[in-house]
Amino acid sequence: MTTAMQMNTRMLSRLSIPRVVAVLLLGAGTVAAAPLRVVCSTTDLAAITRAIGGDAVEVEAIARGPQDPHYVQARPSTMRLLNRADLLIYNGLQLEIGWLPLLIEGARNPRVAAATGQIDAATAISPLEVPSGAVNRSMGDVHPEGNPHYTLDPRNAARVAALITTRLQELAPADAEAFETGRRTFTDSLEARRAIWEARSAEWRGHQVISYHKQFEYLVNWLGLDVVAYVEDRPGIPPSPRHVSDVVERMRQDGIRLILQSTFTDPKPGERLAERAGGLVVVLPAAVGAIDGTDDYPQLMDAIVGRLDDAFRETTGER
Amino acid sequence: MSIQSWIAHCMWSILITFVTLTLSVGPIRAQGTTATGVSHVTNPAISANALFMGSYASEQTAEAATGMHVQELEVRFTSFVDPYWKADFILAFPGGEGVEVEEGYVTSLGLPYGMRMQAGKFYAALGRQNLLHTHAFAFLDAPLVNQRLLGDEGLNEAGVSVQWLTPLPWFVEVTGQVLDGANERFASADGGDLLYAGHLKSFHELGDATTVEWGGSAAAGGNAAGGTSSLLGADLTVKWRPLGAGTRRAFIWQTEYLRADDDSPGATAEGGLYTQAQVQFARRWWAEGRLDWLGLPKAEPRRAWRASALLALVPSEFSALRLQYSRLHDEGDNAHQVMLQLNVTLGAHPAHNY
Repeated sequence: MTTAMQMNTRMLSRLSIPRVVAVLLLGAGTVAAAPLRVVCSTTDLAAITRAIGGDAVEVEAIARGPQDPHYVQARPSTMRLLNRADLLIYNGLQLEIGWLPLLIEGARNPRVAAATGQIDAATAISPLEVPSGAVNRSMGDVHPEGNPHYTLDPRNAARVAALITTRLQELAPADAEAFETGRRTFTDSLEARRAIWEARSAEWRGHQVISYHKQFEYLVNWLGLDVVAYVEDRPGIPPSPRHVSDVVERMRQDGIRLILQSTFTDPKPGERLAERAGGLVVVLPAAVGAIDGTDDYPQLMDAIVGRLDDAFRETTGER
Repeated sequence: MSIQSWIAHCMWSILITFVTLTLSVGPIRAQGTTATGVSHVTNPAISANALFMGSYASEQTAEAATGMHVQELEVRFTSFVDPYWKADFILAFPGGEGVEVEEGYVTSLGLPYGMRMQAGKFYAALGRQNLLHTHAFAFLDAPLVNQRLLGDEGLNEAGVSVQWLTPLPWFVEVTGQVLDGANERFASADGGDLLYAGHLKSFHELGDATTVEWGGSAAAGGNAAGGTSSLLGADLTVKWRPLGAGTRRAFIWQTEYLRADDDSPGATAEGGLYTQAQVQFARRWWAEGRLDWLGLPKAEPRRAWRASALLALVPSEFSALRLQYSRLHDEGDNAHQVMLQLNVTLGAHPAHNY
C-alpha cells in the first residue's frame, strides 16, 4: 500500500509544467520522452539507480537477489535485455568476470559495448583488500583488484549514487534536476538511517566474529566488527576438515560465537561448525531482494543490522 | 594456397609475433613504449587448456584404445583488434602433437540492428554440440552421431557467419553461414564449392530457475559425386538451477537429432540422436548419463548405440577430474570403455557459454 502511494506521489510530482510542455512540444514517443533503459549487473546497483532515476529510467538487474553474484548464468534472454539497453552499470573488481563479457558480446549493442555506455561502479569507491603482493590461483578466488562486495557499506552506496547521478545527467540532460533530487532524497534518508544503524551497532563494536566467505569485509569494516577467521579454506574454496577444526579451536579459545554467512551459502558447513564450537550462524541477505522485505537498499541494510543485532543479543543473553 | 593453409600461415606468424613480443618485453612496463614500440598493455588475453586422459578399452579401435595420452592441448588468444573487430585465435595440439587452427576468427563490434558478423575459421552452427571445444564437452567424447556424421573434429571450416538477434519479444537468433566445403562430406570433385549453413535458436525463461532452448539447423553443399549433400538437425535443452542454491544444484537435459542426406545415385541417408542428462548434486560433484543411437534413418553399414555414465569432481572453475564408462554396441559387436580425464585451464578467466 505504502509503496503504491509513494509511486503515485512520485508520478504526480513528475508532472511539472515544464515537463508537460516539453512532452507536448516533442510529442510522445520521441527519444526525449522515452525513459532511459538501464541494466545493472546486481540488484544493489539497480536499487540505487531506481532511487535516483525514478520514472525517468527503466531499471533491470541481471543477477537476482538470492543468487551468488560470482556465478550468474550468461542467459541469452539477458543478452536480449542488454541489446535494448542505453546504459550498463556493473559492480566491477572482477565480480562479474565469469559472465558479463559473454553477455555484452552476445547483446550486439554498440551503446553498451562502448565504455561510454557503461559505468564501472567500483570507480566511485576505495576498494579494500587490494593484494599488495603477487596473486595466483593457488590462493583461491582472490580478486586481484580488491574485494568486490563494497555495496554493503552505506557510505559506498552514497558514493556510487553520486557517480550514477552524474552519468545519468549526461545521458538525459532534460532530467538532470530530477536525478539530483532523487540522489539527494536517497542519500539524505541513507544518512539519517546510518546514524540509527551505527547507534544500534555501537554496543557490539570490536566484537570478534567468524565469516564464511570474504563477503562482508566492507560491512564489518563499517560496523567495527573483527573477522578473525573464515570458514572457507581460501576464497571460493570449500572448507577442508582440517581447516574447520582449526576454526573450531579458535572459536573455543577466544569465545567467538557468531558465524556470518550469506543466504546463498551452503548452510551445512556453517551449521556443523556452530554445533561443534557452540556458535550461532547468522544468515545475512547479501543483496537487495535476497530475502523478502529487502526491496530497496535501506531495507536491505535494515535487515542486515537487525539480524546482527538479534544475534548479538541472543549470544550475550540480552533479550 | 588453400584458405585453410593461408589462415594457418597467418596464425603461425601471429603466434610467433606474440611469443617474440612477450619474450622481448620482459619486465619493461608501459613506460618508454613510444621509443621501443613494445608494451604489455595491448597484449591479448591468453588462456591454455590441457586434457590428460587414461583409458581402458575392451576392443582396441581408432576411437578407443587402452593407454594414457594427452587428449588435447589448446591455447587461446583473445583481444580487440581495433574499434571494429574482436579476434579469437584458438590453436589446438590434438594428442599433444602437431598444431592445428581449431578456430581463428574476428567478430564485428557495433553492427546495428542486432547483427553480428564473424569471419575466419570456426565451428559451423549445427545444433549445440558442434559448437563446443573438446574441453567443454559434457562427456569425454563427442556423441556418436556427431563423430560419425561430422568427424572427430566436428564441422569446422573457414567462412563467414552472420548472426541476427531478432527484435521478437523473446530471444530468437538466426544464423546464416557460407563456408568452404573442403571436407569429406561436402568437397566436390574440383574442390571449388561452398557449403551453406543456417541455424535458428529460440530461448525461453520459465521462471527464475528453468530455461528451455530449442533450435533447428540445416546445411547443404555440393559433393564429390556431383550431387548435393545436406544436413538437418534439431536440438532441445532444458536447464534448471535454483537461484539460492545455484552453485550446488543443477539439472541439464539436452537432446539433439542430426541426419545427413546425399542425393547422388546409390547414396543413402543416415542419422542419429543423443540424449543426455547432467545432474549437479553438490558444490563439486556432477553425475551424468547419455544414450546414443545411430541408424535413424537406418543406414545398413552403420547401426550402433552407446550408453555412457560419467562422474565428475570439479574442485574449482579451473580444474575437473572426470570418470566415464561407455558401452558401445556397433554392428553386433560389444565394447566397453573406461576413461579418466583431468581437465585444467590456466591464464585468462574463462567465461562460460549458456
